[in-house]
Order: sequence, then structure tokens, then C-alpha cells
Amino acid sequence: MKTFYRTLLVYLAFARTSFQKRMQYRVANLAGLTTNFFFLLVHIFVYTAFYAASREPQPLNLTEVRTYIVLCQAFIMLMPLWGGRSEIADTVKDGSVALQLVKPVDFQAYWLADALGKAFYYLLMRSLPAYWLGKLLFGTVLPQQLGTYFAFAVSMLIAIYLSTAITITTRSIAFWTLDVTGVNYIAHTVITFFSGLFVPIALWPEWLADIARWLPFEGLIDIPFSIYLGTLTGVDIWQAIGKQVMWTLVFIGLGRGIITRGFSRLVIQGG
Amino acid sequence: MHHLALYLHFVKLRIRAQMEYRLSFLFELFAQACLAVIDFFMIAMLFGRFKQLAGWTLWEVGLLYGMVGICFALAEMFARGFDLFPDNVVRGEFDTMLIRPLDTFFQVLAHQFILRRLGKLLQALVILLIAGSQVAIAWTFPKIAYLFIALVGGTCFFIGLFVIGATTCFWTIHSLEMINIFTNGGIFMGSYPFSIYRRWFRLFFTFVIPLACVNYFPSLFLLGKSASRGVLVAPFVGFIFLGGAMLFWRWGVLHYQSTGH
Repeated sequence: MKTFYRTLLVYLAFARTSFQKRMQYRVANLAGLTTNFFFLLVHIFVYTAFYAASREPQPLNLTEVRTYIVLCQAFIMLMPLWGGRSEIADTVKDGSVALQLVKPVDFQAYWLADALGKAFYYLLMRSLPAYWLGKLLFGTVLPQQLGTYFAFAVSMLIAIYLSTAITITTRSIAFWTLDVTGVNYIAHTVITFFSGLFVPIALWPEWLADIARWLPFEGLIDIPFSIYLGTLTGVDIWQAIGKQVMWTLVFIGLGRGIITRGFSRLVIQGG
Repeated sequence: MHHLALYLHFVKLRIRAQMEYRLSFLFELFAQACLAVIDFFMIAMLFGRFKQLAGWTLWEVGLLYGMVGICFALAEMFARGFDLFPDNVVRGEFDTMLIRPLDTFFQVLAHQFILRRLGKLLQALVILLIAGSQVAIAWTFPKIAYLFIALVGGTCFFIGLFVIGATTCFWTIHSLEMINIFTNGGIFMGSYPFSIYRRWFRLFFTFVIPLACVNYFPSLFLLGKSASRGVLVAPFVGFIFLGGAMLFWRWGVLHYQSTGH
């Protein structure tokens, strides 16, 4: 128990360093917030125009879609997939991964601690201001029950874990190719699409939505936000969260396999 | 002539450097092809559900999408050096450029050439060609010439944006990344007709950052959606914008203070 406690403290320290590292760049954060807000505006203009032209009833009404967009731009930065550079791959490319390997810490756990510290920073500096601004300007839907907030928080937290696990897995390809721009690009595109970031899955054609439901990526965006919107209710919520947990475990396992193989053939770059 | 030969030599070097990571290079081209399909597919999906957008059909929007995509890809291919310029300033590398007997603008321009943007360029071109055949436009010679000028003008506009972003570094040293709103954000918002945006937003992107002149006004003319004379001169705004950006650069260089080594 004592060793467990001590290990936890180590990773907590990593998370704290990660948080403090980001606190240095407050001007950059303001620029980022403006970018988030710009995309929020354009998305909302686009959907408002689409809804204005359509008389048919849609699976989500305009206020719900607006809320979804505000949530997207507010919470996207919490996940390593979209928030920031591919630091893992950078360490392989410039050789500093060696410094990490000599430390007696777990590779995945280290990056998870880093991601959590970062997520906490973005929660304070990006999510809350962006959410508040979006709500003020466009009037978002608020969950009616306390339980919904709780389920949303749980689901969002798992989404961060899932995103971290996926990111570590895809970026560990750097052990083979060194330059991961290409792999990143493709993974990023496919994942972004199937997460429901730009178009809520509820608005997709049936056949494509079915495919998305079989993939892990809806767990990043669509599941937490559907819980928030109340389109997922009751048992469905916990089923969806279960799915998130399952996929997170799968990616942790997959990442572990890739990393172990990667370490065994790793050539340290630079001097 | 000497400049051109030198430029081609630089380009050759850049291409060779990029081919160093060959697997990654091929992968990225392939990835861009995937992105191509998915990116436009998302717009098509919304049209599938809502049928039309402020009186525009899917392929009319495809025309907008293709045009802005081509301009941006070309601008990134040629002028990425300006986008990455903040790194040069931070590391004090601009000092080296200043002592060379060559114009600094030319040096930064020749500093990068991103062959990989070919993927993005082809995608946008394909969308533009399909859109061009699907919409009701009689492609007479003047219209084709107009489209061509609009594409070159639009490329100049985006290069101008990169130059402005780079020039601000002479004061701020670090990149402010604000310019990303107009570059990455620009291709995103430029993919939809401007009429859907609020008035203040439209005015800003017409008179301050003339993004609307890249593809929206030209498309209005090509599609016969506007009889106004103003849309005829729109393609030339990009040239003026780049000219202004180059003057700004010239002025900015005077304010450069080295970060040292």
C-alpha cells in the first residue's frame, strides 16, 4: 500500500509539472482561445443557415446542435489528440526519449500523468471561458438532473484516458518511421471524423452511424456530449461508458505491445 | 534570371530533404487523399440531410471549396518558409540571412518548398473540376481566364497572410499564432457561402482580411449570382494584398533585433 501511495505521488508530480509548464504560455493561450472561438462561430453560422433552410424535423434541434458545438470547442483541448503537438514522437525524433527510459517510470503512465496535468490546465484556461462565452452568446441546453452532470464528468474523464491511450499507440509508430507526420495525419483525420467532432453522429446517415457505433472513436466526443444533451438516458448511459472503458483498455494493451517492441529496436537519435 | 535559377536550386534541395523520410512522405500523400475524401464528404453529408444552404447547392459550394483549397495548398507549398519563420527568429538565424547578398524576402521564400501539399492540391483540383462540370456555368474562354486569375490572386492572398504573420515576429519574436485563424480558419469558413455569416463578420472578411475575394465573389460572378461590377475586380485584390504585405515586411525588417546566439 505504501509503495502504491509513493508511486502515485511520483505521477502526481509529473502531472503538476505538466500543468505548470503550460502556465508559462498565457499569451499563446489567449490566441488559442480566440481560435477555438472563431471555429465555434463559423460552425454555428453554418448550422444556423442549414436549419433555416430545412422544414423537416431533425434528430437534434438547433439549440441542441449549438450546445454540441460549444461543448466541442470548449472540451476538445482536454484530449491529447487535439490539444497540442505530438510530444511523444518529438522525443523519439530528437533523442530525448532516452532520458525518459532511464527513469524508473512506466512510459504510458508518464504520458497519462502529463495528459491529466495538461487537461486540468486547459479545463481552467480554455474550457470554462469558452463554454461560458458560448452559453452567453448562443444559449445552450443545460442538463436538468444532477446525475447527468455526474455521468458527463465520468464519461469526459474516460474520454481523456481513451484519447491518451490512442495517442500513445499511434505516435509510438515513431519508433519505426521517426517522422510521424504521415501516420499522425491519417490517424487524426479518421479519428476526428468518427468521433463526431464536426457533425454529431445523430445527424449522420443511418449506415454510416452504424459503422461509427462499432468504432472506439465516438467515445471521445459523441458519447460524453450525448450524455450531456440527454439524448442518451438511463441504462444507455452506463452502457456507453462501459464501451468507453472497454476501448480504453484495448488501446492500453495495444500501446503496451507496440512500445515494448519499439524499445527493443530503438536507436537513440542525436547526441 | 539568376534569382530563378537559384530558386529552382533551393527547391531541388528541399525536395531531396523531404524524400529522406520516404515512408513517411508516401504515407502523408496517402493520408491527404483520405482527408480529401472525408473532408468534403462531411459537407456532402450535411447537404444530404438539409438539401441546400442559403440557396446554394452542394456542387456550387464545391466550387467554393475547390477554389479556396487550391489557393491555400499552393500558398503553403511556396511560402511555408514564412509560416515557419518565427523559428528562425527565435534561433537568431535571421542574422545569417541579413549578411547574404540577397533580398531577405526572396531568401525566406526560397527557404521551404513543401512538395507534400501536392496531395491537398490534387484533391481540391478534383473537387473543383467535378463542381465545374456539375454547376450551370458555360465555360467560355473569358470565364476560364477569370477563374485562373482568381486562383493566382487567391494564392497571393494566402501568401500575403503568411508574410504578415512572419513580419509580426520582428516585434513579438514568438509566433502569435493568431494568423492561423485566417489561414486554417480561412479555408474552413471559405468553404461556405459568405451570405450565411453575420454582417460584421462579412464586412471584416471583405475589407480588413479580404478572404471573400478569394472565392466567394469570384464564384458569384462565375455562377451568375451577382450582376455587380465589383465582383469583376475581386480576383485582383489578392495581388494588392500581397503587395501591401511585402511593404510591411520591408518595414518590419528595419525593426529586427537579433536574439543572439
